[in-house]
Amino acid sequence: MASTSSTTAVKALSFRIVMWLFALMTIIPFGLLLLTSVKSKQDLFRGAFALPDYPHFENYVSAWVDGHFGIYFWNSIIVVVPVVAISIVLGLLTGFAFAFLSFPGKKLIFVLLTIGMMVPTEAFIIPLYYEMRYLGLINSYAAMILPQIAMSVPFATLFMASAMQQLPKDILEAAMLDGAPRGMILRKVIVPLMKPSISSLGLFLFIWTWNEFLIPLILVNDDVYRTMPLGMLFFQGRYTVNTPVLTAGAVLVIAPIIIVYLIFQRKFIEGLTAGASK
Amino acid sequence: MGQLQLAGVTKSFGKAEVIQPTDLEITEGEFVVFVGPSGCGKSTLLRMIAGLEELTSGDIVIDGRVVNDVAPVERGVAMVFQTYALYPHMSVFENIAFPLRVAKLPRKEIESRVRRAAAILKLENRLDHKPAELSGGQRQRVAIGRAIVREPQVFLFDEPLSNLDAALRTEMRVELSRLHNSLGNTMIYVTHDQVEAMTMATKIVVLRDGHIEQVGTPLELFHRPVNRFVAGFIGNPTMNFLKASCLGETGDGVQLRLETGSVVTMPVEGAARQGDDLTLGIRPDDLVIAEGAARFEMIPEVVERLGNQSVIHGADMAGEPICAVVGGAEPITQGQKFELGFHPDKAHLFRPDGTAFARRNTALA
Repeated sequence: MASTSSTTAVKALSFRIVMWLFALMTIIPFGLLLLTSVKSKQDLFRGAFALPDYPHFENYVSAWVDGHFGIYFWNSIIVVVPVVAISIVLGLLTGFAFAFLSFPGKKLIFVLLTIGMMVPTEAFIIPLYYEMRYLGLINSYAAMILPQIAMSVPFATLFMASAMQQLPKDILEAAMLDGAPRGMILRKVIVPLMKPSISSLGLFLFIWTWNEFLIPLILVNDDVYRTMPLGMLFFQGRYTVNTPVLTAGAVLVIAPIIIVYLIFQRKFIEGLTAGASK
Repeated sequence: MGQLQLAGVTKSFGKAEVIQPTDLEITEGEFVVFVGPSGCGKSTLLRMIAGLEELTSGDIVIDGRVVNDVAPVERGVAMVFQTYALYPHMSVFENIAFPLRVAKLPRKEIESRVRRAAAILKLENRLDHKPAELSGGQRQRVAIGRAIVREPQVFLFDEPLSNLDAALRTEMRVELSRLHNSLGNTMIYVTHDQVEAMTMATKIVVLRDGHIEQVGTPLELFHRPVNRFVAGFIGNPTMNFLKASCLGETGDGVQLRLETGSVVTMPVEGAARQGDDLTLGIRPDDLVIAEGAARFEMIPEVVERLGNQSVIHGADMAGEPICAVVGGAEPITQGQKFELGFHPDKAHLFRPDGTAFARRNTALA
């Protein structure tokens, strides 16, 4: 009896140690990034873990102003907001169709959507470039927004369809018996019930679109249209020697993702675990 | 208004025929209960009436109109689900008002209908609450309220009390019967609980394997079951079934010998041949201590004392399981043999294929 409980305790302890190691592996580089971003160049030479005498927030000002992050930030917002919003709306509509409706070619379209998700951006970026050039959209926000909506819709469709299939069937049937047409069932019943899933999808799409690098790199070459990750690349080229300012720039790039995650954290976790238990 | 007819209705899922050809007439204002074990097709039949399942063949006629291809909302039916199926993000008021808003009724009309339904269901003080803030019974009342405001011809209930605890179930059972008396609408109620069926129904439909076994009033089903399945399903505790061998027919009925050796003459109609393997059915509360024309001994294994009565579970001397309901004051103890008996006119007799012999005593009490 005693040996069983001690074995269990040892197992639990080992599990905790492994979990802590993983947590530290994730947190330490991020902590170092934050620490370096508030150091001076001199502080840097005293060691990676040495604390600065006082936080050098001027690194952020320098990155924001000299690195044109002000422009890049707003460009990212201009690209991300419509991509996420339109993809969610389209995902809700297409997801509803796949979850509840019968239509010819449903399985084929579903397979095509899944295959579409497997094609890497590198495989279609050159044809996409020619297409955008033909449409006269190179060097425009549309060049970044439209392809990213197209790339997001398949995932949004599958995500929404699977979430909708987990909704209680009785509630949807009750709405049908109450006489609600499809559009109304979607708006008044399904969407309010899907808030956690919509938050999760929004967060995924926000992160992917915010971090998208290749599409802006190829389809946009004017500085006034560049987004944050692209700006970081050019900033890196100019400030290779000033590591604290560079890291401040990196923090500026990832900060919106962290803020958005913290805001939607609870809904996000609810969304990921939706349907796991009654 | 509120008449319903099923004519040759069937339903198949792939090759499995879950509803065999079914005919049924429901007249206006009846409280009809579909009862049967899990998987017998009672919920499927209800969903077909609601329009939530398509028919494989046959017709459903509501008030003289074939509704096979009519949308659920246009059939004049309202359904209450086992899981309540409330909209969790809406208040009680909005839940009840939802079908009226869909129908685009004027605001004042919506307000008055919701208030009226809330008054009937004693929900006036709960109208601003969300479903999560209500008890199970209150949630079920909201679901009923949502059905009431639509003023349907036929109410459909799909095991609405299954999620409630025993005390609340009894309370809601009475409330539903009261509601039926006051509204007077046709109600079709699905349950696997024969107590609900017996206490609420004006007509019971017993189903097994997608087939109607018997239709009748609760007392008809209790006193004149057409077969062994219905006899065993209706009544609590379940009817005792004793193996018997036919000795032949006499002017008084069919004479048979029980496994315990007792010889009984059953007052029933119908032919039986000597040597036929028959089954005698006797309800636990028709067994009496040391009384009756037919006697046998029982060894109690479990004695459940309920105060006013005791339920004795055990076996007869031939080892057949027996359940008896006796007076609460009877000094029956576990393992101590005692004599039981019954009057043959209280018992039922079944053929080898399970069908019942017609009883000569036709009184329903």
